[in-house]
Amino acid sequence: MVENPKLKRKAKGARPYFFDDPAIDKLLAMLMGLAGEVSVLRDRLDTVERLAEQNKLFTRSEVENYQPDEDALRERAARRAVFLSEVTRIIEAELEGMQDEDDAPYTQALELVNREP
Amino acid sequence: MQTSELEQNRHSILPEPNHDELARQQFVRSFKEHLVARVHPGNRLAYEHRVKPAFVEENGREPDNRFEIRDVMVRDPHYRMFSALLRTSQEMMWSASQQPVQRELRELAEKAKDADRAGGSLRLDPDLEIPRYHKAVDIHCQPGGYHTEVTRDDVAPGAIYDRAVFIYAMGQMGPDNADMGDSAAAWIKENYPDFKPARILDMGCAVGHSTEPYAQTWPDAEVHGIDVAAPMLRYAHARAESLGAKVHFSQQNAERTDFEDASFDLVVSHILLHETSEKAIRRVIAECHRLLKPGGLMVHAETPPYKDLGPFDAFMLDWDTRNNNEPFWGRSHDIDYVELSGRAGFDPEKVFEVMAPSAYQIAQARRSKVFQGGDFGGGGLWFLYGAEKQAS
Ligand SMILES: C[S@@+](CC[C@H](N)C(=O)[O-])C[C@H]1O[C@@H](n2cnc3c(N)ncnc32)[C@H](O)[C@@H]1O
Repeated sequence: MVENPKLKRKAKGARPYFFDDPAIDKLLAMLMGLAGEVSVLRDRLDTVERLAEQNKLFTRSEVENYQPDEDALRERAARRAVFLSEVTRIIEAELEGMQDEDDAPYTQALELVNREP
Repeated sequence: MQTSELEQNRHSILPEPNHDELARQQFVRSFKEHLVARVHPGNRLAYEHRVKPAFVEENGREPDNRFEIRDVMVRDPHYRMFSALLRTSQEMMWSASQQPVQRELRELAEKAKDADRAGGSLRLDPDLEIPRYHKAVDIHCQPGGYHTEVTRDDVAPGAIYDRAVFIYAMGQMGPDNADMGDSAAAWIKENYPDFKPARILDMGCAVGHSTEPYAQTWPDAEVHGIDVAAPMLRYAHARAESLGAKVHFSQQNAERTDFEDASFDLVVSHILLHETSEKAIRRVIAECHRLLKPGGLMVHAETPPYKDLGPFDAFMLDWDTRNNNEPFWGRSHDIDYVELSGRAGFDPEKVFEVMAPSAYQIAQARRSKVFQGGDFGGGGLWFLYGAEKQAS
């Protein structure tokens, strides 16, 4: 199959940034992109549940009333902990740096490797 | 026909998003609705509670125009947050509307070529120059603008636009995005009950959202739509045929068409004027005058001029000028229509400026009733400017 020619993805014209630091605008855009994908996922799950009900696999009220057993509870809690530490990685990394005192100014390393013999 | 504002009516050329593409598009609409309902109102609050008092403190008076308000509002944290989110929603809207079109690019182009025949026509002019005011930036941030073609018989910009307008207006223009045409046609019918136009021209028709309403309102009339962008017209033609509307589309610049003098009873446009330029708008109105028969009628739909709004509302409606690639938006909202029409040959006495009620009343209860950037159709009224040509 021949691939379709590619449509232009960026609009011509410089983009305005609203905060003093454009990184904030970019973070917000990423956050909304992420929120969008979560919403897409949630809609897909909704479709699965409705189809399951339609096809008499299980009902939405079964999903609603599902009681996770011990194993399920433990596995879910573990998955959530990993998820959270992935998302907030930047904060944890900063704390680790403080603890291990391995956050000496980066310029020191630059100087070290670049110093004349 | 569906009458809900929840989803767009289908027609044979409308791209078919897959499950997740649709969910992505619907998210953008919800995001925009959230901005209108929950974030937008904070701008007025911030203005009244902290921005204006600080201005008064410093200057001993209130700001008295939108420029002064702009200077201080751009530093307000809420306005910044709102603007960053609104701009992002606009980018997400185009991206989400583009995905299924990118996937179906060739199929759509082929499908458009053998559209059912409702008796309309399509006439393209490959030599027509795209005006400079459309090449400087991509208007309202649609990547590639209205005119860029990447494949043979390309309809992509039209297909993307059709979907994006529905999301942009959050359904407030009805399931066929037809509210501007419906409302203007209804207003004309009500105010000129004996007027039976035999030949109608819609300038800058894009994909024909506002053109079909005229064919429906006056089924015996010969209806023409012109636009500078070929991909919009190819799509418009296929769409009209699929909807059973007989419209003759041709690729022409509204500043100077090849139609004969005094050959139309009614010449209309919908949100075309603000996308032209200072020079072009004068030529467009003069062209309307040339094309109209004596006693004929010209009607242009836009958002209301700033002189009819308070300075804060004008500032909020002006958001698009700087932040959504609409360079002529601000200036066009300050235009003196009487002067403009007079210079184009119309009798200044015959010029009218009115607010016509939206024909799509279903959405009325959910509207913000405010004219503001990012809330298209939320005002519930359309500004109509026009003039009658003197009967000779
Ligand atoms: C915002 S869209 C119009 C929407 C359309 N009238 C509707 O109601 O759905 C603007 C359109 O005007 C076209 N346009 C801009 N300048 C033009 C000109 N000078 N002559 C003809 N068409 C023009 C653009 O290509 C674009 O399709």
